[in-house]
Amino acid sequence: MEPGSLKGIVGENGAGKTTLMKIIVGRWKADKGKIKVNGKIGYCPQKVLLFSHLTVDENFRYFSAAYGIGKKNFLINRDALMEQFNFKAFRKEKFENLSGGTQQKLNLSIALLHQPDLLVLDEPYNGFDWDTYLRFWDYTGTLRKRGCTILIVTHLVTEKERFDTIYNLENGYLT
Amino acid sequence: MRYDRIRTGLIMVLRMLLRRRIAIILLIVIPVVFLTVVEFTTSTRTLPFRLASLDEEVFIETSEKNISFVFFALASAGFLVSFLALNLIQKNNNVNRRLVICGYHPNEILISSLASLFLMILLIAIFVGILTNAFFNLEHLPMFIFGLVLIGVVYGCYGLAVGSLVKGELEGILFIVLLVNIDAGWLQNPLFYAEAQNKLIIRYLPAYFPSQAAIISAFTDYSAGTAIWNSLLYGCTFLLLSMFIFFRKMRIRK
Repeated sequence: MEPGSLKGIVGENGAGKTTLMKIIVGRWKADKGKIKVNGKIGYCPQKVLLFSHLTVDENFRYFSAAYGIGKKNFLINRDALMEQFNFKAFRKEKFENLSGGTQQKLNLSIALLHQPDLLVLDEPYNGFDWDTYLRFWDYTGTLRKRGCTILIVTHLVTEKERFDTIYNLENGYLT
Repeated sequence: MRYDRIRTGLIMVLRMLLRRRIAIILLIVIPVVFLTVVEFTTSTRTLPFRLASLDEEVFIETSEKNISFVFFALASAGFLVSFLALNLIQKNNNVNRRLVICGYHPNEILISSLASLFLMILLIAIFVGILTNAFFNLEHLPMFIFGLVLIGVVYGCYGLAVGSLVKGELEGILFIVLLVNIDAGWLQNPLFYAEAQNKLIIRYLPAYFPSQAAIISAFTDYSAGTAIWNSLLYGCTFLLLSMFIFFRKMRIRK
């Protein structure tokens, strides 16, 4: 995948899209073949996976420790992401009290916090309202200019022109 | 392994624990209920019994009420810590896995969970120990509290192992209830144990050595050294087992 490209993977329910994502990020082992990754990966899982008893800010802090980013970069990136996706007002709110859409915004922002070189997104805009959906696409443009490669997995592609390439996953093959 | 990650993990795990107010209230209420029930339901008649880890000639004479206080204090500490450990690991299994994908080492997560669990064990042991002492005067309160810490460590690590291994919440709870109820909640009662058959089985159950250590400290001036060492050995075995299972479940292929 070329730096700055935007690729999509589509497929029917149960085609193995999420399985492929999990293999790419290292969660599962492939039956055969190898994945070579240059640089940092940002992974946004389909199911929102965050700590429900922690606040938005605490979730950011916990994952920033995982990424190993410094305090200064953490604060800049966190604020920029909350601004971009418009959920700064919920900074002190516990995750479990957020709406589904805001939870999804945080889920995505966590994947972007360390400014990855490869962004792997599994059904990223489920639950987004129209404004957030547009903000999301707006932000992918910024990421691509920076050289970040984006891989989006979805069961439904509505705006094909946004992608450089769209692959179809069927019977274990990408076509 | 990085110290700052462990520290962040510890702070976050403690925050998550302390924000579960109902759980914290129950941690306080359950031992109070257990010991109050003992106060109102047991007799004060004196019962002589022999402790398995002391010399055959040594008989302890105390009231049924007092021995029940000690036994139920141990059982409640074991129960509470085991449930807490199960919950600590099982609830966050999937998010912890995401943390590992993002850069945490499984051992960093486990160490922060263990440190939080150990702090909770200390608090529970001190609280239950002081509470028991309020109902009747223990011979050696600090050593009794140490016995409660030991049962907490043994059953805490058991809870961690079950939490890492079992996905379902109900199944996990049943695993905990099954062992803790049979072992700490029944077979280690010295009044039952004194006349039990096949004592060898009871001696190899996890609560045996911590119970012996706590009961010796509660009623006698004898040394509980052997029971303490064996408890630590049991605790370490469960700890290694839980670490192994957790590591296997959390590892990723990079």
